Amino acid sequence: MSKTNTNQPSPKNILSWFNPIGKQTGGLAFILNRVTAIGLTLYLYVHLIVLGQLANGPEAYDGFVSLMNHPIIIFGELLIVAAGIMHGLNGVRIILTTFGIGVTHQKLQFYILMGIALIVILIFAVRMFNA
Amino acid sequence: MPETNSNTENFPPSENSGVWLVKIITGPFLIILLLIHFIVNHFIGQNGLLSYTDVINYYKNPIIPIMEILFLVTVIFHSSFGIRGIILDLRPTREMMKIIDIFLIVTSVTAIVYGTWLVITIASIR
Repeated sequence: MSKTNTNQPSPKNILSWFNPIGKQTGGLAFILNRVTAIGLTLYLYVHLIVLGQLANGPEAYDGFVSLMNHPIIIFGELLIVAAGIMHGLNGVRIILTTFGIGVTHQKLQFYILMGIALIVILIFAVRMFNA
Repeated sequence: MPETNSNTENFPPSENSGVWLVKIITGPFLIILLLIHFIVNHFIGQNGLLSYTDVINYYKNPIIPIMEILFLVTVIFHSSFGIRGIILDLRPTREMMKIIDIFLIVTSVTAIVYGTWLVITIASIR
């Protein structure tokens, strides 16, 4: 009698996907990619809806933009910028390793790309909070 | 001799290589388009964000509406297939996956149609 393969993902374990404790770099990269993906997708649809203000004329849109200059909103926007940059560069690592490039140096790839992401995010942060 | 079960209905839904390829191809395009989008919206505006007038003037360049629609279609495809991939890891049944696929198709088409309408509306403002 064959044993049932119990080492399969399951909805019951969904929260463990996002638990970084005990995970190695690859697991952390996986979590980062998924969390940023979900966040960016949710933001995408909200972004499309609020941009509809442009069709309502300058008073509606400029009024909306003045609300967006609140520091908390700017911080939220920075999180979106950070998510986009990290998800994109992590995706570059996935593409490279999928095609066999740098497979034995995945950790180094991840750290270098996230280092680049951090620098770019800092540049955006300085610009966004000083504007 | 044991009977072989060739009924594919018994296999859980999965992602085919075509869908994976769409994600791999749209990803690098999105990195470039997203970077342009971030730079335009956070570095060009005098006060950090583009005003209504800034946006209208930006869209007067005919390349911009084309680029924005391309960006929209690319990001909708990439995000929908990506979310689908995440949901597949929850091992839904084939019936549930069909419902999810219909939901993703409807929201994606709606987003693309609405976004394209918005781009054309903004580009038409003089």
